[in-house]
Amino acid sequence: MNKMSEFVKGFACGGKMAKIIVFAALLLTGAGLLAGPELRLYIWSEYIDPQIVKDFEKQYHCKVIVDLYESNEEMVAKLIAGGISQYDIVVPSGYAVKSMIKQNLLLKFDKSKVPNLKNIDPKFDRLPSDPTGEYSIPYQWGTVGLMYRKDKVKDFQPSWQMILDGKEHGNFLLMDSTREMMGSILMAMGKNPNTTNKDDIIAAAKLLLQAKKNKDFKGFEGGVGGKNQILAGTAVIAVTYNGDAARGIADNPNAAFVNPKEGGLIWVDCMGITAKAPNPELAHQFINFILDAKVGAQLSNFNRYPTPNQAALPMINPKDLQNPAIYPDAQTKAKLQFLDDLGKDNRIYDEAWTMIKSR
Amino acid sequence: MLPGFLWTCFFLALPCLVLVLVSFCQRGAYGGVDFLFTGENYQRLLGFTLFGWTSDYLMILVRSLWTAFITTICCVLMAYPVAFFIASRPGRTKYLWLTLLIAPFWTNLVIRTYAWYLVLAPEMPPAQIAALFGLIEPGEALYPSTFAVYLGMVSTFLPFMALPLYASAEALNWSLVQAAQDLYSDRWRVFKTAILPQTLPGLTIGIILTFIPCMGMFVVPDMLGGAKYMLLGNLIQQQFGVSRDWPFGAAISFSLMVLTLAALFILRKRRVGNL
Amino acid sequence: MKKPGPVLVIVSLAILLFLYLPLAAVAYFSVNASRYGLVWSHFTFDWYVKMIHDEAILSAALNTFVLAVVSTAVSTVLGTALAIGMENFPWSKRLRAFLDSILQLPVVTPDIILAAALVVVFGLLRALMMKIFPHSPTSIFDPGLLTMIIGHITFQIAFVALVVRSRILAIGQNVEAAARDLYASNRYILRKITLPLLMPGIVAGAMLAFTLSLDDFMISFFTSGPKSVTLPLLIYASVHRGVTPEIHALSTVILVLTVVLVFAFERLMRLQEHRRKQ
Repeated sequence: MNKMSEFVKGFACGGKMAKIIVFAALLLTGAGLLAGPELRLYIWSEYIDPQIVKDFEKQYHCKVIVDLYESNEEMVAKLIAGGISQYDIVVPSGYAVKSMIKQNLLLKFDKSKVPNLKNIDPKFDRLPSDPTGEYSIPYQWGTVGLMYRKDKVKDFQPSWQMILDGKEHGNFLLMDSTREMMGSILMAMGKNPNTTNKDDIIAAAKLLLQAKKNKDFKGFEGGVGGKNQILAGTAVIAVTYNGDAARGIADNPNAAFVNPKEGGLIWVDCMGITAKAPNPELAHQFINFILDAKVGAQLSNFNRYPTPNQAALPMINPKDLQNPAIYPDAQTKAKLQFLDDLGKDNRIYDEAWTMIKSR
Repeated sequence: MLPGFLWTCFFLALPCLVLVLVSFCQRGAYGGVDFLFTGENYQRLLGFTLFGWTSDYLMILVRSLWTAFITTICCVLMAYPVAFFIASRPGRTKYLWLTLLIAPFWTNLVIRTYAWYLVLAPEMPPAQIAALFGLIEPGEALYPSTFAVYLGMVSTFLPFMALPLYASAEALNWSLVQAAQDLYSDRWRVFKTAILPQTLPGLTIGIILTFIPCMGMFVVPDMLGGAKYMLLGNLIQQQFGVSRDWPFGAAISFSLMVLTLAALFILRKRRVGNL
Repeated sequence: MKKPGPVLVIVSLAILLFLYLPLAAVAYFSVNASRYGLVWSHFTFDWYVKMIHDEAILSAALNTFVLAVVSTAVSTVLGTALAIGMENFPWSKRLRAFLDSILQLPVVTPDIILAAALVVVFGLLRALMMKIFPHSPTSIFDPGLLTMIIGHITFQIAFVALVVRSRILAIGQNVEAAARDLYASNRYILRKITLPLLMPGIVAGAMLAFTLSLDDFMISFFTSGPKSVTLPLLIYASVHRGVTPEIHALSTVILVLTVVLVFAFERLMRLQEHRRKQ
């Protein structure tokens, strides 16, 4: 008798519960249905002109939902944890593209739907990260270097030693990105930024740990975070991307950017469609939209990064074209290297990074 | 009661078991979970990393325990006066004071923590006073720093400690205290013999509610400690995030759970009353 | 109790002030007109106006609310049923102690452990669903509102069950035993006696669950998806990118609401006790 009543109770409760769940489900799906076509963009912060997004929304009668991240690793982690079916477009850097292709996170896109591909500079056609060119489309490219305050820094040299020599040049920030920060230090040591030699990696890690001990070390930040702190004056030196720095300099002429003399990293960010994108059709249209010459120029004039879009070059701000910080000259370019995906050996860097962050 | 039981089993007990399982797995080449069993995650925790033996992870553990310990002590020291003060209020206002104490506890942890950013900023009085005394450079904030982390932790957990203590203080038998005061002239002895034993139940609950969550806290050290103050919670969050090493994260979480249960067990043995 | 000495009073007041210091700072800057930096410019309600019109904030508020309501409703029902069942069923002592400890786990263990476990389980469930439905683009276990609801319900059940159980223990078995003597059916007892008697406990449990859900950061952080950002997550993300004064305004609103709710709850409880005594 007791058991019977327990089950009845269970059902009665279940009935109530079922009603609530149904209501909630209706609410959620209803909300989903009511919304028109949607494009979900997962992109670096401050990387796209909000006006471009609005123009796209107007032209294609849709809604664009933008989500932001600060590093490739953060983005990939989110995709692995289930985000792959929740975003349409992501913007990974080259080395990440390669690993994402291997993990089946990206969709082979339909070139016929992206006619503006012809605008891209042929040099960017077959990038080592995506040899068949079927998974990624170049977005912007750039470098990793040092942004600093001319008016506040002490004894500035255009060198990575500014953050490594242990002297007090002013408050500094390191970049919160595993491969990019460690790669830069490896280059400062004169080593290959894609090395899988454990001793080299440990040496780089030790240098970073040494830098952390400096009284002037103020933390890890993404490129945008570092730029903001330089502008606010709470940091005097920061490892940032060249475009973020250029934007910062426009806001505050006391800021400056340099590609250190030992060399540094050069990267190409690409747009990719996720393997389970909710709206691949819109994604193709968005990519095509970005590749348009005018839009490409608008994009680069906003985020101040060098563009891979040949057709857009005539419309780029001429001062930017002549700015060596944005478009590095041939001499500097010779000392820049790309990061590559290392497959299973990526793990060594991840473990080293955990070690760096934990002490 | 069956649905409730099923739910608890499915979403509470099972996940914990799965956690243990995954902690013995290997991390995939790019961050998935490979079901190849290995004890290497625990090896790594104990220090046997790819780079030879390091004490990093054990250091994090020690740091977490130490932070929890100091926070608990600070909370105890601050909670006693407040608890007794409120207990001494006349009937009506007592509830008012109690509510005043509880209210911050109900507010959002994230809000309370970032609020310390504002209080400790360079332009605000506390940082300027510290600069005057030469404790920090002028124009700098009081964060990120160990001090800021402790401030954040103590202000988060103080109500957890004060409330149970208040419940005990409320029920205090003052005749015992008076007897002790007649016997001893030393205030400390009065406290030790008359007040402490009577408030022990509340104190124990307070310690449990403070020490244990403190060990798993990651928001406060993340926001106020900058990159220099990594605790177990931060380490776990990192493995499930940027490092994409779920098995290692699972191993750390499970170790934390074991530690928690051990701490609970010890505290239970020295207790009076019912949890 | 004898009157406390002046030292005690001053120290206690100072400590209480310390608790409110950060909250006051947030409120202070929410009406400060300067956008960057913390120098006082002039008084303004602009940020509050901006906050109300900010879509991201509004959708986060909606998510937070829906999440709290749904998870509270389900967990109250489940938790109450669990508590009643635990007391009534003739479990062996061992089993009951075991159940007890499982229930207490979410209350005493750091919630990051539960969050981590949920991430792993949902990942595995997703992989499982992919094997069963290989062509479905999305999975029900994608990080999003549903996974957050499941996560919240899981820890809420424990709290609700504990609160209701303490109430059951306080009431005692007498009334129920008396009703059974009078040949009342189980269903009748449940409806007309047990539930009404337990109601204060159930309400308290529900309010506790509701507040816990509203405040929750850890579980939400690990189980949320792009469209299911809640207010705590929104604030956390903006702290990492640079806090805007709209966030100060939002936080002040949340703080004031919480304080008001707590005071109201306290009033309600006291009124109920008064009524009961009469």
